[in-house]
Amino acid sequence: MSNTTLGKPHRSDPADVSSSIYDVVIVGAGVSGAIIANELSQTGFRVLILEAGPGHDLTIPGYEQYLSRFYASASKDNNAPYPRNRNAPMPRSTDVRRLQPGEPDASGYIVQNGPLALDSTYTRVVGGTTMHWEGKALRMLPEDFEMRTRFGRGLDWPISYEQLAPYYRKAEFELGVSADVEDQAYHGIRFDPGYVYPMRGIPASYLDKTVARGLNGAEVTLRGEKFALTVRGTPQARNGVPNPRYDGGKGYVPVGAVSVEQVEQGERCQGNNNCVPICPVQAKYHAGKTLVKALATGRVKLLPQAVASKVVIDPGNGRVRHIEFKAYSDPGSTEHATGIARGRVFVLAANAVENARLMLASDLPGTSNLVGRNLMDHPFLLTWGLMPEITGTLRGTQSTSGIQDLRGGAFRRHQAAFAVSIHNDGWSWATGSPYSVLADIVDRQNQFGAALRRRLVDQVSRQLQLAFMVELLPDQNNRVTVDARYTDPLGNLRPVISYGLSDYTLDGIAYSRRLSRLIFQRLGVEDHTTYDPLDYAYVSYKGEGYTVRGGNHWAGTHIMGTSAKDSVVDGAQRSWDHENLYLVGAGSMPTTGTSNTTLTLSALSFLTAERIRGELDQDRSPATIAAA
Amino acid sequence: MHADQAEFQDFLSLSSVVTGFTAFQLQGTGQAESYFSTLIDILGEATVAALLQVFRRVQRETGEDAAALDRLLRAAIFSDEKLGPIARNLIKLWYVGTWYPLPAAWREAFGELEKDTTFVVSPAAYTEGLLWPAIGANPAGAKGPGYGTWSAPPRIPEV
Repeated sequence: MSNTTLGKPHRSDPADVSSSIYDVVIVGAGVSGAIIANELSQTGFRVLILEAGPGHDLTIPGYEQYLSRFYASASKDNNAPYPRNRNAPMPRSTDVRRLQPGEPDASGYIVQNGPLALDSTYTRVVGGTTMHWEGKALRMLPEDFEMRTRFGRGLDWPISYEQLAPYYRKAEFELGVSADVEDQAYHGIRFDPGYVYPMRGIPASYLDKTVARGLNGAEVTLRGEKFALTVRGTPQARNGVPNPRYDGGKGYVPVGAVSVEQVEQGERCQGNNNCVPICPVQAKYHAGKTLVKALATGRVKLLPQAVASKVVIDPGNGRVRHIEFKAYSDPGSTEHATGIARGRVFVLAANAVENARLMLASDLPGTSNLVGRNLMDHPFLLTWGLMPEITGTLRGTQSTSGIQDLRGGAFRRHQAAFAVSIHNDGWSWATGSPYSVLADIVDRQNQFGAALRRRLVDQVSRQLQLAFMVELLPDQNNRVTVDARYTDPLGNLRPVISYGLSDYTLDGIAYSRRLSRLIFQRLGVEDHTTYDPLDYAYVSYKGEGYTVRGGNHWAGTHIMGTSAKDSVVDGAQRSWDHENLYLVGAGSMPTTGTSNTTLTLSALSFLTAERIRGELDQDRSPATIAAA
Repeated sequence: MHADQAEFQDFLSLSSVVTGFTAFQLQGTGQAESYFSTLIDILGEATVAALLQVFRRVQRETGEDAAALDRLLRAAIFSDEKLGPIARNLIKLWYVGTWYPLPAAWREAFGELEKDTTFVVSPAAYTEGLLWPAIGANPAGAKGPGYGTWSAPPRIPEV
């Protein structure tokens, strides 16, 4: 089967860009920007994408530079494949330190204002954070859209699950999701009759099956409500076996690696166990796959190494006049030229942190003063132990199954819901295994030779790690701000974040720990979970301590709502204050429930593209308004 | 490249004993010469020669007696303040392709070494690490075993 092929991206120089007026100017070449660019360019509109990071051509050799850097990196953190770039710096988990009360830590790119240090990251390269995302593609539950109405907690969305459902279908096509629809209708998730995912579910790992054998049907009671636990396959945006029933029997063709040359790679997941930080064969979706289709229209200009620095507003009518950017030719030098990007419609698609940062750096906190506020992420609690038998570790995709039964329920009036992932990569995230285990056996257990090998198998190949992804509600005190004291080498203001966990979430975390004990007891798992009080992410709550990791699901900094008073954007992600400006991505989400954010923000991007297309269609005359 | 082929063979024999893989398997990774020169590069020829000399003596004294080899290796190398940390580092080098800095006590006693920092020898050193075959897995990000293989029980080589 052929893969997407195309010539080199249509590049442009900054001066060229500044002399043109585009139909749409998009900031950020990640998944939101790529979907909107593709949808609009396919119907004839001219699009400019400004990308802060370097734009290696979308080629196999370009991609393999990332892979090679990952192999050669001693730290295999989730940004390890992507080069440090002073002009468009990105957060790295390895930069995070324990905070002292009242002392912001500015040693990494993100200034951490506390109270809790957050080790979430994002990636500033073409393709954005989908380069390193894991690819979990769960829909949100219908009840997640109505948290205020149903549970008196958080906020309601201005749109419902039913309204978003058609766009979920588009997103599942675009991202290439593998799942069996019969496994995914739970907690009110509804699919159209006859709907199937593009590809069949990714097979469960041997570990999943062993856990399922011991656990399925186990009943737990939470605040009087009974839940039966089931190990369930996770929808994943990675290539599996196409479902011939897809699209009314038309089937589906997986999208493999992107390249200028014809290649046959990435049409099936090979089990490289490296979704994060980089799939070596591109079997996992990344935004480059959508971007190449957009670029192939010839109507999309991609300007890499151009950092948006200011959104300039016409004070008369509140419309965006242009976006100022700083273009650098060498990532090693801060030498740059300032350019302006002009268009009829502007879309900020730089992610929840960078969108808010850019707005606040442009002195645009919004009528509601909510820009940057309600910052959310998914806090993760990890628990880990050893299975009673060898189940194999570091096999398959990093996670193939989970327990989703406590994503919803009446208990959400009182405490956070959560989703559970079973990890095929063992204790990697929690302890740095298998490296840490190797070092322990060699340096502390004093083993070598055959004895070393036997201990490795005993201590690595029985590992079970559960990751509890816990709901975090919008809270105006959790926020992104800027501060003139903190700038990057190009002179752009850096994001300053304040982040803490409410009792609602902490109760969900505490219950997650309790549930993990019940699961381990039932399976005969030897519990090895320990939380180090010196860890930067350690929190004490009701007499117990926990280490809470970031989920890289930045959200909520420009929430959607029903008016300019209660929100930053409307249900189609259009700014209430600036009618030709859209802020897109997870930043628009008023709540995130217990779904990884990418599938939902992709669905929102399709919805927004449709709205923008409608507006541009109404006014097909050449863009002169923005030239003023 | 090393001048002394005999010394390289001793390096391979030592590596085989401490890693639990045969010299044949070690050669099969394609990394042996690179690790030998890495060791010399970091520690200097004299220190590497001293390590191999002690290993030769241990081998001579123990012959085919595996238990004696184990005992004498612990006595002469693993519990030696200078050679022990080097031998442990050599194991990790083979298993994950990474050199980790020698302990602070070592540096204090025997001197700082310019190249004694954390580094992965090469991209291939990572993918050819012995840790992965030892646990019946592929190195994360390389040598994918194929769609759906993870559904079957793991196949871990007997030792």
